[in-house]
Amino acid sequence: MREVAPRSSLASAGGGLGAIGEKALQWLVKLLPGVALLIFWQWASGRLIKEIYVSKPTAVVARLYELFSSGEIYPHLWITGQELVLGYVIGVAGGVLAGYSLGRSSRLARIFEPYVMAFYGIPKIALAPLFIIWFGIGIGSKVALASIMVFFLVFYNVFAGVRSVDRELVNLTLIMGANQRQLTYHVFLPAAAPFVMLGMRLAIPYSVIGVIVGEFTSSVQGLGLFIHEASSTYDPAGVFAGIVILLGFVTVANLIAGAIERRLLRWRTLSGSGPIDA
Amino acid sequence: MDDRVLLFDGIGQDFPSPGQRSQIRVLDGISFEAARGKFIAVIGPSGCGKSTLLQMAAGLLLPTRGAVHHRGRKVTSINTEVGFVPQQAQLLPWKTLGENVELPLVLRGVPAQERQKRVDDVLRSVGLTGFEQHFPSQLSGGMQKRGSIARTLVYRPDVILMDEPFGALDAQTRMVMQSDLQTLSMEAGATVIFVTHDITEAVLLADNVVVLSQRPSRLLANIPIDLSRPRNMFEPFKNPGFAAAYDAVWTEFRSQLQAGQIH
Repeated sequence: MREVAPRSSLASAGGGLGAIGEKALQWLVKLLPGVALLIFWQWASGRLIKEIYVSKPTAVVARLYELFSSGEIYPHLWITGQELVLGYVIGVAGGVLAGYSLGRSSRLARIFEPYVMAFYGIPKIALAPLFIIWFGIGIGSKVALASIMVFFLVFYNVFAGVRSVDRELVNLTLIMGANQRQLTYHVFLPAAAPFVMLGMRLAIPYSVIGVIVGEFTSSVQGLGLFIHEASSTYDPAGVFAGIVILLGFVTVANLIAGAIERRLLRWRTLSGSGPIDA
Repeated sequence: MDDRVLLFDGIGQDFPSPGQRSQIRVLDGISFEAARGKFIAVIGPSGCGKSTLLQMAAGLLLPTRGAVHHRGRKVTSINTEVGFVPQQAQLLPWKTLGENVELPLVLRGVPAQERQKRVDDVLRSVGLTGFEQHFPSQLSGGMQKRGSIARTLVYRPDVILMDEPFGALDAQTRMVMQSDLQTLSMEAGATVIFVTHDITEAVLLADNVVVLSQRPSRLLANIPIDLSRPRNMFEPFKNPGFAAAYDAVWTEFRSQLQAGQIH
């Protein structure tokens, strides 16, 4: 108790400036481990481990600069970007549609759930060689691989979301006069929205895995191919440069997804503010 | 025209019992009626199937035997001409209070201008003006309950089914809500079927108290409560004749509680 009192008075005395300072401090604390890791990497490379195995941060940055300034990376970026976006969109759309229809109809669910479950168990990566045969070594096979990985994640989340809708809420809305279309729009879709968003967020890294594995397996262009070639020519800086670019992809996608989520699920974030009594 | 708005006619209900071939008989030949604008309280020990009666009136469940008639029409599918106030407020969490109350009007295709006016009116009558933009999670339990009642009143059903609506509220909020419900139901002129397990609440609110027995439920008594209105919800015993009316219900109810202790 004695320790709490002075701290709280300090915080209230600090006012707006204190709040800003606190936030900056939080960021600093967050950044610290990352910076420490980079410094250690830089120091250890060539001292503890041979540079040929792990490269070093400065070399990676130099390689990145070289790749972008020479324009060497752009064709790879373009192809991989297309594959990611297409695979993701197709997978999400399919997952939402299938998850929603199976979630709403218990008869469909009874028939198809065991099949979906069985397919879910297949390690999708093992399908990569098959997909190359079926869809060619162009972007088709990578889009297929990414979208099937995304599909199952989104499918299960949406399915669970639609099934978890409170039966009483549905009945009440029916008594209020809703038809099936209105029920979908006012009850099922908003109720499933948090699950859809969760599935879409989880699916982002999986779409990247799908695309990169596809490109590793066989391709004519793309970041996966670039990383694969860099590693087979003992160019660890190139490998890490490719990984950094992928990291950028995922980070940007996560930021976009986060912004959409905050907008769509405003009612959820507001619930934190607690009830008021009248 | 028939003055009986809602008629329960020989209702019987069996539910399959888990793990057994045989069925559990829950309701057994229950008949009573509700005249226009009357407040009927249904009271009975827990598990006796009180709520099941409401589900039948709303068309969510078809009785195994007998039928519910709403204004002379047999209820066979979802009955959109009644209002239903459940135990939990069950406002849609993704809609603001205003949008929640407006929803039945949207679903029924009421023009926007009239919707706005009716939402404003009903929110004023339940004392929630100024909270239109709040999400349910930002409201207290009592306010959510008021919202739930407003959502029902807004489309003016002639029958309102209430399933232990005040069970989850604290004692003070509950008394205020009971008092407000008395006023609101008198103003609305709607027939109310109010399920509860609280004798005081039943006697204070109702024109008739229907007492059900333990499972399989039969109708033990249908007791008219002739107390003058408005009644004082805060000090029950100050209502002239309350003690006698309470006693009449309690006499019927007591046997069921004692039977319950043996089980």
